[in-house]
Amino acid sequence: MNREPTPTCFIHFDKNLCNSCIDCVRACPTKAIRIRNNQTIRMVDQCIGCGECIRVCPKGAMTAATATLASLEKDKIPVALVHPTLYAQFPGIAPMDLLAAVKTLGFHHVMDLSHYIEMFQCATEDFIRRNRVSQQTPWPLISPFCPVAIHLIAVLFPSLLHHILPIMRPVALAGREIKRRLAKEYRVLENEVVTYYITPNRASYPFERSYVDRALGINDVYAQLIRQIEQFENNDSISSLQDQFNITVTGNGLMWAISGGEIAGLNIEPTLAVSGIRETMAYLEKIELGLFGDTEYIELRTCPDGCVGGVLTGIDRHLAKSAVLRMVPKLDSGRRLPREKILRLYAKGRFMAETMPSDLEQLLGTTKEHLSLESLQKVENLLKSINGMNCAACGSPDCRTFCEDVVMGRAALRDCLLIWARENGGDTSSS
Amino acid sequence: MPALKKCYHIKKKDFIRAGEASIHVKNLLKTLNYNPELIRRVAICGYEAEMNAVMHGGDGRLCIEINSYQLVLKVSDTGPGITDIELAMQAGFSTASDEHREMGFGAGMGLPNMKKNADHLDLASESGKGTQVVMIFQTGPET
Repeated sequence: MNREPTPTCFIHFDKNLCNSCIDCVRACPTKAIRIRNNQTIRMVDQCIGCGECIRVCPKGAMTAATATLASLEKDKIPVALVHPTLYAQFPGIAPMDLLAAVKTLGFHHVMDLSHYIEMFQCATEDFIRRNRVSQQTPWPLISPFCPVAIHLIAVLFPSLLHHILPIMRPVALAGREIKRRLAKEYRVLENEVVTYYITPNRASYPFERSYVDRALGINDVYAQLIRQIEQFENNDSISSLQDQFNITVTGNGLMWAISGGEIAGLNIEPTLAVSGIRETMAYLEKIELGLFGDTEYIELRTCPDGCVGGVLTGIDRHLAKSAVLRMVPKLDSGRRLPREKILRLYAKGRFMAETMPSDLEQLLGTTKEHLSLESLQKVENLLKSINGMNCAACGSPDCRTFCEDVVMGRAALRDCLLIWARENGGDTSSS
Repeated sequence: MPALKKCYHIKKKDFIRAGEASIHVKNLLKTLNYNPELIRRVAICGYEAEMNAVMHGGDGRLCIEINSYQLVLKVSDTGPGITDIELAMQAGFSTASDEHREMGFGAGMGLPNMKKNADHLDLASESGKGTQVVMIFQTGPET
């Protein structure tokens, strides 16, 4: 095992595979990676789990720190919670067949999220309606669904933490419910019911850990599921795999696999859907300038095109997106849960987030060092004297970050190729 | 006493890049570990002033001066200037063109919003020469 002992980080790094190129350094949106003396250094507390380093690494040295199917054997009651994106990986396969295939991986039960997505929608609409009167939370409200977006806010845009909708995510609602029900049914403790979230992205919330135990990448199970579905086509033993928790998968739920799918199912106006890490950051910058105050709800997805663009998917995101759009009309698309019942539960506070926005910064934020005014002045002067082009050859993502690293004593000035060349008589005029 | 001054150019009619100077200022303040709420106030003021310069002004400049007890945000432009400053400060008053209104601007809340978010606001303008708005944010006891 070459894996680093970094339990808090969402990404595993294998230094034996790393060739010290700077692709991940430049791709990291929170600037949490450096190359120093040919070694990759990661500031894991600033990792938001976006997986951009996994996307760009040419050597496969970065991988998601997901669970493995082997650990299922040790669990008393392993249960799968299925992210809607899984269905999008299997164009033409009925979601119910896919859920049966997931069960053959060794799960006692398999649970689709459509039901809990509906609860979330109902609770969200009600919260927003009340907020119009109470103005308790500032507009625009930000969807809590994408954990990368929320980690991003905590690390780079902490002033926006109180914009996050304080409703529990569908997967947490599902995990809480199934643990409660199965603990009773099997007469075991709730923590002996172990939930695996089959997901396109590794990031998760520390405060959801009691409901969502582990993350399993869609790519970790994709090949096995393909084989299983082929077997189903050869015989019809599938009915024995039907699960009491296999409630009908809805088009409304499936839409959450793509950007815009969450707001499409909400009876709220005006809303906005943004996808992709750079776009998400650009919008967060704008919200911090006070823009979009007339928008009620913003769906942020840091992967391109939404969750189908996740790092841990099985097929190309464009294929997956087409699959969703073709499948949705064939599924039951309306809501099926009695709204009154959900609102009664809502009134009891059953859907409210258990972590206050004010605690989020501490839970998800970083311990990043800050600069003093004197240090910042030094950074500005150094930046002017280097007058570089953000080549990143020094091992920092850009010139400004390099200057900060130098001033903070984390890098040496000679690491800058331009400075080195000038000192050694090279022709790199600073004009 | 150490003080830091940084200036950014604002290009007239450049709606696409409008806001960039304020984003730079915001990120500068973040590296200095100012309170997020204070940063938000500075960012809002900077953006409103920047938009005014982009819409009404000619080219302009946004400057931030940081010292140990206050932040001074100065936004100046070479536009037509404001004829009646008192009127301009009133909520809802706007001279934005129809074109600007179509883009969602011109609600007449820019200056009132700046006044609300800054600890002190000074507006100087000369008809035909331009406008300068100075906003001050207290960050600590004066030394």
